[in-house]
Amino acid sequence: MTATAPRPDTVPSGRVASAPPPDDVLLDVRDLRTHFHTMDGVVKAVDGVSFSLKRGESIGIVGESGSGKSVTALTVMRLLDIPPAEIASGEVWFDGKEILSMPISKMRLLRGSEIAMIFQEPLTSLNPVFTVGDQIAEQVRQHLKVGKREAWDRSIEALRLVGIPNPDRRVKQYPHEMSGGMRQRVMIAMALSCEPKLLIADEPTTALDVTIQAQILELLKEIQARTNSALMLITHDLGVIAEMVQKVVVMYAGQVHEEGTVEDVLIEPKGPYTLGLIESIPGVEKRGGRLHAIKGAVASPFHMPPACRFEPRCPYAWERCRTVPPDLYPAGPRGQIARCHLHTPEGAARLPIMEADRKRVEEHVMHSAPTAVLEAG
Amino acid sequence: MAKYIIRRVLQAIPVLIGITIVVYAILLAAPGGPTARFANNPRVTLADREKFKKAWGLDQAIPVQYCRWMGFCNPSVDGTFLVIFPRPNAFLSDSGVPHFLPAAFGGGTNGILHGDLGISISTGEKVVSQIQRAVLPTIILAGSALFIWIALALFIGVYAAIRRYSLFDQAATIFAYIGYAMPTFWLGLMLIFTFAGPGLDILPAQGMINSRLSPPFGTDLYWKYFAGHPIDAILDVGKHLIMPVITLVVVNIAGDSRFVRASMLEAMSQDYVRTARAKGLPGRVVIFRHALRNAMLPVVTNIGLEIPFLFTGAIVTETIFNWPGIGNLTIDATRNFDYPTLMGLLLIAALVTVLANLIADVAYAFVDPRIKY
Amino acid sequence: MSEQMRIVAEGTAVDRLSPDIRPDDSGVDYEVGLVSLSQWQLAWRKFRKHRMAMIGLGILVVLAFAAIAGPIFLPFEFNKVPVPDVIASNGRPPSLTHLFGETGGLQRDVFQLVVNGARTSLMVGFVSMTIGVLLGTFVGSIAGYFGGRIDNFLMRIVDVMLSLPLLFLILVASRFFGNGNVFLIVAIFGLFSWMGVSRLVRSLFLSLREQEFVEAARAVGVGDARIIFRHILPNAISPIVVVASLIVAGNIIAEAFVSYLGFGINPTTPTWGNILTAAQDYLLRGNWWWPAFPGLAIVLTVIAVNFVGDGLRDALDPRSKA
Repeated sequence: MTATAPRPDTVPSGRVASAPPPDDVLLDVRDLRTHFHTMDGVVKAVDGVSFSLKRGESIGIVGESGSGKSVTALTVMRLLDIPPAEIASGEVWFDGKEILSMPISKMRLLRGSEIAMIFQEPLTSLNPVFTVGDQIAEQVRQHLKVGKREAWDRSIEALRLVGIPNPDRRVKQYPHEMSGGMRQRVMIAMALSCEPKLLIADEPTTALDVTIQAQILELLKEIQARTNSALMLITHDLGVIAEMVQKVVVMYAGQVHEEGTVEDVLIEPKGPYTLGLIESIPGVEKRGGRLHAIKGAVASPFHMPPACRFEPRCPYAWERCRTVPPDLYPAGPRGQIARCHLHTPEGAARLPIMEADRKRVEEHVMHSAPTAVLEAG
Repeated sequence: MAKYIIRRVLQAIPVLIGITIVVYAILLAAPGGPTARFANNPRVTLADREKFKKAWGLDQAIPVQYCRWMGFCNPSVDGTFLVIFPRPNAFLSDSGVPHFLPAAFGGGTNGILHGDLGISISTGEKVVSQIQRAVLPTIILAGSALFIWIALALFIGVYAAIRRYSLFDQAATIFAYIGYAMPTFWLGLMLIFTFAGPGLDILPAQGMINSRLSPPFGTDLYWKYFAGHPIDAILDVGKHLIMPVITLVVVNIAGDSRFVRASMLEAMSQDYVRTARAKGLPGRVVIFRHALRNAMLPVVTNIGLEIPFLFTGAIVTETIFNWPGIGNLTIDATRNFDYPTLMGLLLIAALVTVLANLIADVAYAFVDPRIKY
Repeated sequence: MSEQMRIVAEGTAVDRLSPDIRPDDSGVDYEVGLVSLSQWQLAWRKFRKHRMAMIGLGILVVLAFAAIAGPIFLPFEFNKVPVPDVIASNGRPPSLTHLFGETGGLQRDVFQLVVNGARTSLMVGFVSMTIGVLLGTFVGSIAGYFGGRIDNFLMRIVDVMLSLPLLFLILVASRFFGNGNVFLIVAIFGLFSWMGVSRLVRSLFLSLREQEFVEAARAVGVGDARIIFRHILPNAISPIVVVASLIVAGNIIAEAFVSYLGFGINPTTPTWGNILTAAQDYLLRGNWWWPAFPGLAIVLTVIAVNFVGDGLRDALDPRSKA
């Protein structure tokens, strides 16, 4: 997505779909707003998020927990319980169709076959009382209209594809009989069993050992390249992003904070929050050796700052940030955009302060955390 | 699996022995003991009482009585050794082999170990045959109630969980609160008033069979009648079953439907259910294959643990409806201070409890692949 | 800002900014101020918000009032027969003078009977619960605190007791030892109510005794009794309170049944169970009011106790929100 003009704030609740995106765009999320109705009030978990993804492309969605990145994915999958959730507005175009207004029965046909999802916790995400073969074959039979025998063979094949040794024996095992990495491989095998056009991975490596993490990421990359499916990778780990995706969306408090190519966002971040995130990667600590953290905590959904949501934690904030909600402003040559007043004429005078900080961090990143960024470059 | 079951059975033995001691202690500690039933009867003289005690072996030391009741001791050898122990030769049977061996090997015939629970003080009948007679009616009543209440509790619990906070769910909640608070026997009385009272006299209030139509249940004559008119006989028992079964079902369903609902909600909130939905499975497959299967794991255990309460339920229900089962026998025995019968009943109840716990554990291991022995 | 956050915030980009554009601290803090309340104040605040629990508490207060003051206004004496010369075979349905109707036989006022029965039933429920909870807490504390052989022995006793049908034991004990005496019956119910509590208390102790505050107390030489009563027990109170409400409800129902069978409290004392015994013979004559009102009184009491128990569980659960 390169359009920087503000999108309309609301869409009529009848959800009259506007024009579909160009054919090469697989997923186009437009001004998505997902709210949760709780006892204590309405939580605007996703508040006007837009981005798009071309076929075969990969995008990373980054943010702290509570930034709305997982809810965005679950909204795209339409997996949220309504109520308490409510999709207040927005459109999601997938493969030329608007899927939020689709009847749920049609949506079900897309889930698992065209859009597949991998979750964070492979142990709890697999059903403990069925063998992994059962669980993969079940999905194959649901979407591909094949017989029991063939579905079973396909699940063995899927396990082999994700590099599980002895797949014909493993297929009869229960999830608890496998290691964490194996289970996540099973999840990936399941997700890929119907050759989806879009694969959503929600923190796929967070629950795994560091050594296994690299293997799983390698596997995801390899399989994505082989099957040419698009990847939407949700994570809080910038290192993972650098290795895996072409495009990055940084989310903060339910909104897009910054968006751009992976090189631009990681090496020349334009949003103060993104800069803070990069600064807090272990290994990018300052000379003092202390780990850097962004001060304060994620804004409470019930006490959102009135204008810029990052303002209370932002080292560069000034009066305007407390009164005028920032929009997404163009901030770089290759379509990079950031939600920050520094990139408006009013903030131009203050921009050099952040630039100076950014340079310092960049130099340091180049020296101390080569794996995080250089591979991406 | 077999190894596990054997280990569990062996573990149950000390508990069972403890139970026999507790049962024995409770009943013998009663003021006046087994002769309390004569306490207010002026026609029973002191001499009569002594004769009665001697006839039932009640004049012996308590350890001797206990060992005879258990079947370790020969009842024809009286007296003690070192004040409290039965005499050594009491442990031998008349034919000189250890008394606890089966009769076929020359052992004794009395005591629990030989399948003998003694003789009822109030009727003079063998306790074992009294219990045997009462078992079938209780199984008929408790079995049909158990079947209906589990089926209904599953239906109500699952449906309430799927349609959480719906009108149905709220109605089920209110029903559960009331059912939980309802004394079983009062519900029985109210049912009798409603369906057997003067207004709407459509169901029999008492007993298991219509005594004007058929001979007493369980007798040979009855089975002859049953063979001749099977449909009439079954319908007759069925009609008598309706109210007691409703009573048991209403009271028990309250807690169980809540339990199933909670278990189902727990399962439905799990990650693997979200995965199942993300796989594009239809709602009913997600609910009935993925969620319900997991929700059933705790329910299975819970059902196993509830089987002993059938006994308690039977005591109450059978009393109200005069159902000729174990519960009724219990009340009669309690009323008559009939301690051999009570001990037999308590022992069997405890055995059923221990067995039910074992079955619950084994069943759990069977349905949950994560359990290893 | 907490001390921790202050440390973290030090050395961020803030202190590198030039003073003229350094953000001021006003309006930065969006946290809500919290008034600190004691554990019980907090619990009461949560309890008050629990509508059903407040209704239950209200019912219990009314019942307690009826139990204490009722017998003063509507005294009951077994030998005082209200209409001695009219021994009707049938009772009379509810009317303005007799709200709950009159019994068959001696034409007693059912309302008077139910009010007088409240005293016994509530007393049996609450006093037996107190006995059971004290006993269970005592046994459970000892088993859980000392562990080892003592624990093993005590818990085997509990196992044995729990594998016998409780109602059966209570029935037999009431019949054999009760003698129709209210206090003996209460004692019997109490003596059969401790097992569940002791299991619970034991498991709480097993986890609590490993915690640092207990170790700290032991390290400075605090005695066993003081550790049990001053350090561990206060932390175990909330789950015990919840179980206690279940015992009250269960014992009220069980007492009614035992008395109904005639094994419980002397039939000359009006208890809800005893009223039902007398009523049952008149059931088939259509005297519904006679058994209905004492039964409804039981249902109402038990529902109220359960509501209060639910409210307590939510209120004492530190994880639930106010």
